[in-house]
Amino acid sequence: MLPQKRPHPDSKTKLPPLSETERVLYELIKSKQNLGIWTADMKRETGLQTTVVTKTLKSLQNKNLIKDVVNIHNKARKIYMAVEFEPSKEISGGSWYSDGSLDTDFIRILREQCLKHIERLQVATMEAIYKSIQESRVFKVECTMQQIVEIVNAMVLDKEVEELKSTGIGDFSKVQSGKICYRSLKGREGPKVGSFSSIPCGVCPRISECTPDGIISPKTCIYYNKWLKLEF
Amino acid sequence: MAAQCGLKLAVSLITAHFGDLVAKVCSCLLHRGTLSLQEIIRFTELSSSQIKNCLLVLVQHNCVQAFSTPRPAGPGGVAKAVTQYMALFDNILHRMRFAKFLAVVRDDLGPQCEILLAGLLQNGRLTFGQLVERATSSKPEVSASMREGLRANFNRLVSARYVERCPRPEPFIEPSPQEETRSTRRRSAKTSEEILSIEQRAMVAAALSDAERFSEITDTATETIEVKATDHSSDVSVGDKRKYGALEMDQEVQAAITQNEVLWQANFEKFLLCLKKKACVAHVRSRFGLDAGAVLEAMIESSGQQKAKDETPVRATMDSILEGVRAKPGGISMTLEHIRVILDQLHCQSCNWGAGASYSIDLKSIIDTCQNDEVEALVLTRFGKEAYRIFRLLIKNGHPFETDRIADIAFVEKKDAQGILYKLWKDEYLDMEKVVSYAAGQKELFLWKVKKDALWEHVLNDLYHAALNLSQKIAHIVEQEHEVSQRREKPEQLRNGRMILELSLLKLDDALMLFRDF
Repeated sequence: MLPQKRPHPDSKTKLPPLSETERVLYELIKSKQNLGIWTADMKRETGLQTTVVTKTLKSLQNKNLIKDVVNIHNKARKIYMAVEFEPSKEISGGSWYSDGSLDTDFIRILREQCLKHIERLQVATMEAIYKSIQESRVFKVECTMQQIVEIVNAMVLDKEVEELKSTGIGDFSKVQSGKICYRSLKGREGPKVGSFSSIPCGVCPRISECTPDGIISPKTCIYYNKWLKLEF
Repeated sequence: MAAQCGLKLAVSLITAHFGDLVAKVCSCLLHRGTLSLQEIIRFTELSSSQIKNCLLVLVQHNCVQAFSTPRPAGPGGVAKAVTQYMALFDNILHRMRFAKFLAVVRDDLGPQCEILLAGLLQNGRLTFGQLVERATSSKPEVSASMREGLRANFNRLVSARYVERCPRPEPFIEPSPQEETRSTRRRSAKTSEEILSIEQRAMVAAALSDAERFSEITDTATETIEVKATDHSSDVSVGDKRKYGALEMDQEVQAAITQNEVLWQANFEKFLLCLKKKACVAHVRSRFGLDAGAVLEAMIESSGQQKAKDETPVRATMDSILEGVRAKPGGISMTLEHIRVILDQLHCQSCNWGAGASYSIDLKSIIDTCQNDEVEALVLTRFGKEAYRIFRLLIKNGHPFETDRIADIAFVEKKDAQGILYKLWKDEYLDMEKVVSYAAGQKELFLWKVKKDALWEHVLNDLYHAALNLSQKIAHIVEQEHEVSQRREKPEQLRNGRMILELSLLKLDDALMLFRDF
């Protein structure tokens, strides 16, 4: 028998009448709060039969007491939680995930917007980028400052924008000296083409097996011949 | 000890330049470490005279340094000096950079000096007399003014430190106490630290002082020479006649000896420094613009740094930076304020050193960035954009990250992140550590990080391998070109291919120097 829980302060509504198994399962699911619980774990913890669990879950769902959520770590595992909870970051993947997968469209659009605003402002601090995007009202949903920070940092990693310390003069006149600001690298730098990565050996998966007179050797290398258009 | 592929590349260079026999001896020295003549005979099974000739070629071209150590002849016996030979790996690799060295001198001192240097590079080491002979062999007679011109150009090379006197041929190395207890076998084993210690000691013993290395030569006919070596900066100006009376005769003899006995060689250190400067300036120019490039160039030039491997920050006074910048194209229009802003952009530290304001900059951080760029580009082409982002995250921060955290920051699906990290780890780009967390049930976590030292070594080895492959492919195409031309077909495709390969090799060698020499 599980300890009786105090009713959730928010859920003032009275519970509909529940059978014994329904009550046990509901208490268990609710006790897991925003982490939810996997059906197999329910069976283990309650000792109920699979068919009973499935049936009970269905009836609880029909009474609108629990919901199923997608776990980004394992989509095949069905996880249930009480309706009043929002899935935790570990389950949902955080603000960038929708329905258990990365919301790539949203990320792409937000990146484009960030780049557009950085280019328009030429040199901008994080706050300025956020403000500028908020004012433009492109998004129906509010995006948070944290989201903008994460996006811009990823763009710095991609060498689409660069992180600089403002000198307060020239291009930086709009930004207070010493502050961290961002500038677009479009057409200026971006990822460098390395001298090693531009020859076949740089990307060759078989370089460790390649020897001057071996089966794989520079003399007979097909990558080289393709690269130099030397096909006979 | 250099990487295995580095040794193979060195051997292939020697084979291409001096033939199989010399390469065999050189390979033996490179792979087994320092050896005596007897040991070389045993390992290569060549005749003593053959090996002696090979060693002479290698010494002549500064690829091998000899030194002698005493070897006890058994109990009660008299210790006998044995000559040891060690291969100079870096000098062998410099052989593929001669074109770059020549270009450095051509840009700095003009084509006349370039010809003189070419003579030295082709022949390894020469006396000034031999250089004159070489330069004037096509002319019917050698006039005094011609000789004088050659001498002036030669002295310019010496005073700019492009050319130096050869190190001592065979210094004697006293064994250090711990070496005496060591067996011969262990000494020749490749436990790098021990070998380096004796080799380094030999190099130090062979090296001349800076004053000796760069003392210029004077003319026998018109001038007396300063017997004591002069510092390169103190000028032995032409026509500065001094009479020493009775001493004059001796000094003339001395001067003749200097011209005909003293051997000269190219000073690779200086060339590497110039190439390092070029690489740093090119990087800064592409990132902060032309003016920043000019400022950095001026700083490095006025700092008087002598070694490419020198990791101390480059220092220069504001006055010398200004002077240097003014001499550059477009530098005359730069204001003091502008230069200050650039110095700030380059993260130069201002310091009080000597008279007036001075600045210092750490070239190592620039070189580090260049190295990162090279490896990052490799990751981008090999593993794709997501891997590039993840790799940059890890290399930028230097500390380990957990898989999910990486996926979050890099905007990669958690499942995909695992796959990418695994691939990077499998190809030795990342280091992985498994930890078990007991926070919320038992859970295995994976921590990832870039282990720079190991990775850099790995990349360097691959660079050597790629350079070896490029040079072999070039040789192969040259062979094919020869066959095709005999069949009277058009060899354009082959020629284009060869040009692409040769250019790639030059660029790849820049990367090699970046990881090995700077």
